Amino acid sequence: MDQLTESMITIFLNDQPFQAVAGASESLLDFLRHRALATEVKCGCGRGDCGTCAVLFDGRMVKSCLVLAAQANGKRVYTIRGLGRDALMANLQDSFIQHGAIQCGFCTPGMLMAAYNLLRIKPTPTRSEIRQGIAGNLCRCTGYQKIIDAIAAVAGKTAFVSEAADSLDSPNPTATDQEKAKAGYLLLGGG
Amino acid sequence: MNAISYYRPRNLVEALKVIHDYAGRAKVIAGGTNVLPDIQAGKVKDCVLVDVTGLDELSGIRMEGDMVFLGSLTLISDLAASRTIREQANVLWQACQVFGDPLVRNRATIGGNLAYASPAADTAVPLLLLETTLIAESLAKGRREIPLTQFFRGPGETVLAPEELVTSLFFHSTSSYQGAYIKFGLRQAMVISVANCGVLLKGTDTFQAARVGFGALAPVPLRATQTEAFLCGQVPDESVFAKAAAIAQSELHPISDLRGSREYRVMLADALFKQAMRKALA
Repeated sequence: MDQLTESMITIFLNDQPFQAVAGASESLLDFLRHRALATEVKCGCGRGDCGTCAVLFDGRMVKSCLVLAAQANGKRVYTIRGLGRDALMANLQDSFIQHGAIQCGFCTPGMLMAAYNLLRIKPTPTRSEIRQGIAGNLCRCTGYQKIIDAIAAVAGKTAFVSEAADSLDSPNPTATDQEKAKAGYLLLGGG
Repeated sequence: MNAISYYRPRNLVEALKVIHDYAGRAKVIAGGTNVLPDIQAGKVKDCVLVDVTGLDELSGIRMEGDMVFLGSLTLISDLAASRTIREQANVLWQACQVFGDPLVRNRATIGGNLAYASPAADTAVPLLLLETTLIAESLAKGRREIPLTQFFRGPGETVLAPEELVTSLFFHSTSSYQGAYIKFGLRQAMVISVANCGVLLKGTDTFQAARVGFGALAPVPLRATQTEAFLCGQVPDESVFAKAAAIAQSELHPISDLRGSREYRVMLADALFKQAMRKALA
């Protein structure tokens, strides 16, 4: 293996293999938006300040602008779209709508991901812990109160951890994913 | 020419060889929370990014006797969630709670935080207080131990040779000490400290031992050794804290930058030190 200025990257994006060429210094955020057309992942700052590009990467919630696309090779990546069927995420989404925790909506994918990350680790946080949990995510519309209300309303309600969330903890793609990739079920382009 | 290329070694031997072969051009990347913004800003260019995140052997928290060993790739979130760290190195545990934000803590590594050598690095002061020793490895020099007190040379500069990699660090348990770490930033998360301070104290009626450290108040994070010497044998009260804070000022060399003026940092050093003393003894 030699040093490469670009390389073929395969990720398991929302349980589907996706393959494309990425530049050596390309961020996972750019790879997701421009190669995989996963435009539900937003770019607010591109340098880790705003959090709207959050994805579940290799079992951990991260800011995708701070990960190299090449580092994601062979790994699982879930965007907000891929977590829609998860019970906890679905509850959070409903609660955001009910509490009017959205204005322009640009921070919402990242806010939901940060809230999801918090509630998976700490199912019954205090309001102060909720603030800490979303402290790395910027919202320029709501003043945060409605977002905190929305998260607080879900906290403790989802006493069970959904099966989907459990499977997200496995750091490596399952054999089935690997087989799918080998069998040529690669989605080239498209979202 | 602004060519960045990428290499992902599969084990430590391969990583050391690559860093050796591309010495000077190799840029080690782990969690990427500093490197990616630097690429974005054009500060990192014409280099070989050597991605060490595949080196599983460099990750983990281990105790042997009263020594705590950390792999350099240990994530800040793992330290923040570690019972061992909370009980044996509480001052480091406190710093990990306020490091970056929850999502950054899921990527940032302890080795990366030190090797980047920011004067404001959140783990630097606690690890100085813990009298940490780093282990650096390279093909040319083999394996050597570097006391953290000798590691930082200036902002972004360390004693590491270009072909050296920090592979682990270790320190003694301080479970019998009381400690506190306080950072002051301009936002609740994702901030570089305007200033930070940590203390580690032993003894309740009088101080049998006192360790005091400051970050972002000099070109490197540092231990305030004269302040420490003064505190030993003193009783914990406000007049002692005030005298100690005055001595600390003579050991600091704050600058003015976009996060705060020199004068502001002088006041912060005083306030943060007193707060840290009170918090540690509370």
